[in-house]
Amino acid sequence: MAGSGKAHLRAADEVLVRVEDLVVEFPAGRGRTVKAVSGISLDIARGETLGLVGESGCGKSTTGKAIIQLPPPTSGSVHHGLVDLTELSGEAMRRRRTDVQMIFQDPISSLNPRRTVGDIVAEPLRVWGPHGRDEQRALVDRMLEAVGIDPEVARDKHPHEFSGGQCQRISIARSLVVDPELLICDEPVSALDVSVQAQILNMLEDLKAEYGLTLVFIAHDLAVVKNVSDRVAVMYLGKLCEVAGPDALFAEAAHPYTALLLDSIPEPDPTVELDEGLSEGLELPSPIEPPSGCRFRTRCPHATERCAAEEPQMRRVADGHHVACHHPLVAVAE
Amino acid sequence: MSATPSPSGPVGPLLSVRDLGVTFRTPDGDVRAVDGVSFDLAEGRTLGIVGESGSGKSVTAKALMNLLPSYADVEGTITFDGRDVRALATARERHFWGVELTMVFQDPMTSLNPVKRIGEQIAECLRVHLGRSRRDASAAALDLLERVGIPEPRKRLRQYPHELSGGLRQRVVIAMALACGPRLLIADEPTTALDVTVQKHILDLLDDLRRERGMSMVLITHDLGVVKGRADDVMVMYGGRTMEHAASGPLFTAMRHPYTSALLETIPRIDAAAHARLVPIAGRPPNPSELGPWCPFAPRCGSRVEACTVEAPPLVDDGTGHRSACFAPLGAGEA
Repeated sequence: MAGSGKAHLRAADEVLVRVEDLVVEFPAGRGRTVKAVSGISLDIARGETLGLVGESGCGKSTTGKAIIQLPPPTSGSVHHGLVDLTELSGEAMRRRRTDVQMIFQDPISSLNPRRTVGDIVAEPLRVWGPHGRDEQRALVDRMLEAVGIDPEVARDKHPHEFSGGQCQRISIARSLVVDPELLICDEPVSALDVSVQAQILNMLEDLKAEYGLTLVFIAHDLAVVKNVSDRVAVMYLGKLCEVAGPDALFAEAAHPYTALLLDSIPEPDPTVELDEGLSEGLELPSPIEPPSGCRFRTRCPHATERCAAEEPQMRRVADGHHVACHHPLVAVAE
Repeated sequence: MSATPSPSGPVGPLLSVRDLGVTFRTPDGDVRAVDGVSFDLAEGRTLGIVGESGSGKSVTAKALMNLLPSYADVEGTITFDGRDVRALATARERHFWGVELTMVFQDPMTSLNPVKRIGEQIAECLRVHLGRSRRDASAAALDLLERVGIPEPRKRLRQYPHELSGGLRQRVVIAMALACGPRLLIADEPTTALDVTVQKHILDLLDDLRRERGMSMVLITHDLGVVKGRADDVMVMYGGRTMEHAASGPLFTAMRHPYTSALLETIPRIDAAAHARLVPIAGRPPNPSELGPWCPFAPRCGSRVEACTVEAPPLVDDGTGHRSACFAPLGAGEA
């Protein structure tokens, strides 16, 4: 798994964002380095939703943040159109921020508790214009309405007066008010109650269509990712395992790690039988000293010597379905 | 007592809760967190309690464990093996919590003492509650670590919680909960803080241990998928009340309460096509201050009738042990 390679990338003119060889490392003290993301290549077509899944510590949030240069990656490139965001100066990147926006997992802590909802949503406009007060206010009202919040009621209230679901709607309004092309959603529904999640997910789908958005949707919940994504990338310990369309990925997972993830989902549907065949319950290795070769090999039931010696490269399984594994579960088209 | 038979079978229940109510007295007024919850749990069975935040599921667990703060008013009776738990007064009697009834919490990091070695923490349970010697307790701690599937248990005994991963920490917490051989284990969201690949192993471990020791278990979760196939009975709570309570099979296949049904339908399904439109539940879970003597789910309910906003429907048994609290239950028109 946990491989490199670019066989899964599409032609440059088809994509809005192209990430190549992305590496993000953090100092861990005593000369050690946390290898959070180790050479990931991804692309996102215009109008597409790319789902990024994996367990905690796999680097999915770090990847999302590195795309919008928060912080800039250690190495690698992030092309947005023809421009490499990693090459831009601070000021040039700042000017691009209206095109790339992000929403976070905890909607309450991502809103300033001392400011009113009207102020919070208008803040990006104060920075970026239009500068007429009335114009700004009209835009804010329209955006709040688009996310299902009544501007008359909400404008002068503070975040604590709203529920988690409503705060997430307000966060979304704030990110969309500058009319971005790309919206990175980092676990946007994980902190919400189950009965509220579907509202937000449906709304994101509607807004995506209405505003022509391209989304990166980061989540650990596979059912949620399947629901929203046009393409899904499975990550493990800073590497990509598999990239596929959601239906193909869930119907014929080619990577043993994807299969393990799918196997682990608790199943609320009475008509689906529980799978008794359990996977090994080993722990995630440290990202400071990741295993050689394929990073998943220490937990993989199919691992061989080759997996320790040689890092697997992305190979094509079918159109739009690629896997980085020496022993994929589905035949690879050579 | 407004005892309604629960679906726990003919044997006398190990745990019997009647009309449990919990009110928090706060500076901003009273908050009614649990209202009229009654259920039985037989020896050796697992009860799943499912609910969203604010449903009262954790407060119910804390009431059972006698862990509520002093500003909480508790009503009703809790009977464990014929004893009135709320009347336990002497220090000796109060070892009941920790010996016969124990609990595993959601976050394994905050349940462990960060400055004490794993082995000492487990041994402490045995020394405090059962008066075992230091040496005896350490030996037992090693056995327990082995039993909960911790690799290299001898080495782990001497480690601190921060040296372990979340999954291993939760195994340590489970080992502590089992140390004194409880007859009932309450697990409150035991896997919510863990990754999905670890979750299954922890749930399976709890299930194995329960079977092996003939223990009873209360498994509290917000995820219907977690109780499916693991709980014998499932109780669905909302706004501090019991909405539905039945054996696991009928609850999932012949649900009576619109909330249970809406909850199952709103969850994205892994076997549905990508971009399948989700079925949202309008509105949001109630604030405790918005609760009253009516059905807490009424404002969001598609089957609402006039009576729902006036009084709370009673929890009615359909004769088979399937209880639901609804004036317009599902499937009522089909008979």
